[in-house]
Amino acid sequence: MSAHLIALFTLREALRRRVVLAAALLTLGYLVLYGVGVWFGYRDLQNTPGGPPGLTEGVVSLMLVGGLWSLNFIASVLAVFLSVGALSGEVDQGTLHAIAARPVRRSEIVLGKFVGFTLMLAVFIGVSASLMILVVAVITGQVVGASWSGPLLMLLAAMLLIGLALAGSSRLSPLPNGVIVFTLYSTALIGGVIEQIGDVLESAVMFNIGVFSSVLIPTRAIWDMASAQLATGGFAGQLSAGPFGASNPPSGWMLLVAALHLAIALGFAVRSFERRDF
Amino acid sequence: MSDAIAIGLAGVSKRYANTLAVDDVTLSVAHGEIFGFLGPNGAGKSTIVKMILGLTYPTAGQIEVLGQPAGSLAARAEVGYLPETFRFHDWLTASELLHFHARLARVDANLRADRVRELLELVGLKDRANDRLSTFSKGMMQRAGLAQSLVGAPRLVILDEPTSALDPIGRRDVRDRIRELGEQGVTVFLNSHLLSEVEQVCDRVAIIDHGAIVAEGKLDELLSAQEIEIRAGEGAEAAVREALGESGVRSIDGRLRVRVADDGEIAMLVRRIVEAGVPLYDVRHVGDSLEDLFVRVAERGDV
Repeated sequence: MSAHLIALFTLREALRRRVVLAAALLTLGYLVLYGVGVWFGYRDLQNTPGGPPGLTEGVVSLMLVGGLWSLNFIASVLAVFLSVGALSGEVDQGTLHAIAARPVRRSEIVLGKFVGFTLMLAVFIGVSASLMILVVAVITGQVVGASWSGPLLMLLAAMLLIGLALAGSSRLSPLPNGVIVFTLYSTALIGGVIEQIGDVLESAVMFNIGVFSSVLIPTRAIWDMASAQLATGGFAGQLSAGPFGASNPPSGWMLLVAALHLAIALGFAVRSFERRDF
Repeated sequence: MSDAIAIGLAGVSKRYANTLAVDDVTLSVAHGEIFGFLGPNGAGKSTIVKMILGLTYPTAGQIEVLGQPAGSLAARAEVGYLPETFRFHDWLTASELLHFHARLARVDANLRADRVRELLELVGLKDRANDRLSTFSKGMMQRAGLAQSLVGAPRLVILDEPTSALDPIGRRDVRDRIRELGEQGVTVFLNSHLLSEVEQVCDRVAIIDHGAIVAEGKLDELLSAQEIEIRAGEGAEAAVREALGESGVRSIDGRLRVRVADDGEIAMLVRRIVEAGVPLYDVRHVGDSLEDLFVRVAERGDV
């Protein structure tokens, strides 16, 4: 088996090409900005007298969920950018020829790259989410969102995008592939908004459009599950509703849909890449 | 196909959408042979190389490599390949490139470091072992690529234009390497448009044009084979085709170009034309070197 060699190679390439460094620096800058925002927001909140009990806790929780929502977005973009040209791009450049002529299965190349990108995203999400929870805890004295399930769900959403981008990359060149993956990703985002409006207006059609978009690509539904895990406190549920999450988080079935989605995407990526000509 | 054959293609075709890139090619390369594969750009050389390696799939026909189906892991384990573009991940150092490929080629962990060192020395990159490929010139990149193709101690080496970016000294070095490989019993499949190179190192050559093999054989036989041009009246073509069959006869601007094995065949053809009652105006040699042969093929490709 050579899949681990390809995975390590993929990781090393990201480190060497300073993809990781660039992502780390930008994220660090974002965390500083975020910390300043939380600091001022929290000060204003404390200076506001009155309000129902549990408001402070709810707002802090919302601030964290909002911050993690942006991290989730960065992770999604990173996932797509890393993997969108991983197969076709390398075939077109000719860099994969010498490797694919070795006694390596095409499936090992696809899965090795998938594992490599997933590990990268796991480190990115793990480190940046932990830092964000830490920033909020230090500034507000409240530890919110400190659970594994939130970041793990964020990673699952990123893995869905990697799988999808690899499936496209087995045949399409990076640009059209990127356009398709981002369009699907946006469809899920917009579908989520339609679903929420449908929920409020009690419109079954709008609600079902949203559900359908989540079955098509469950990235946003998985994020909704993550935000439900991260939001704590009495008001968190209502406050998180809006762009950062759904008032009714999806049921556990969505995990099955996501697992199926990933399996189909990777299965397609392997089969399609196995059959393509260099 | 027998075990004595390192590469065997039987009736191999490759069709892309509307174009036939490779047209019914049958070819065999014996073990330990240094085989030259020549042809103009776009003739289908690289497509055939990629099919031998299992990177591209034929639409018809069979390919066997070292007794295994082309592209199987067993076949690829014993093949070294220098891609035409010699494009590698340029963030690697030369040493890292070779180590990575040694692991992919399943070279024993104990042997890897020594193998890499020896090969870097062999191709003259010992002092640049720890420099990134992005800092390399084209020629150095190609030498790193050559070392890469040898890192798995292959029984068959496929070199796609191995000297195209090298200076004359670099070319001579590569020729020497190829000869050494031949002496070690390694089969070499050399894809090249550089005739001098092929003439100097290859035991046997094939020339491909428009996806089909137009000439194949031992170098000295191909070189002794001649082409003649016949200028004669109506009916000469029929007489010649009747005598020699369809292959090796073509008509250019009303003149007949005919490949003949020796002088005896020329005399025979002249007799046949005269016996057929066709007026014969002129018979002359047109080239008899590999270069002429190649140029004729290439010129035809431009038409």
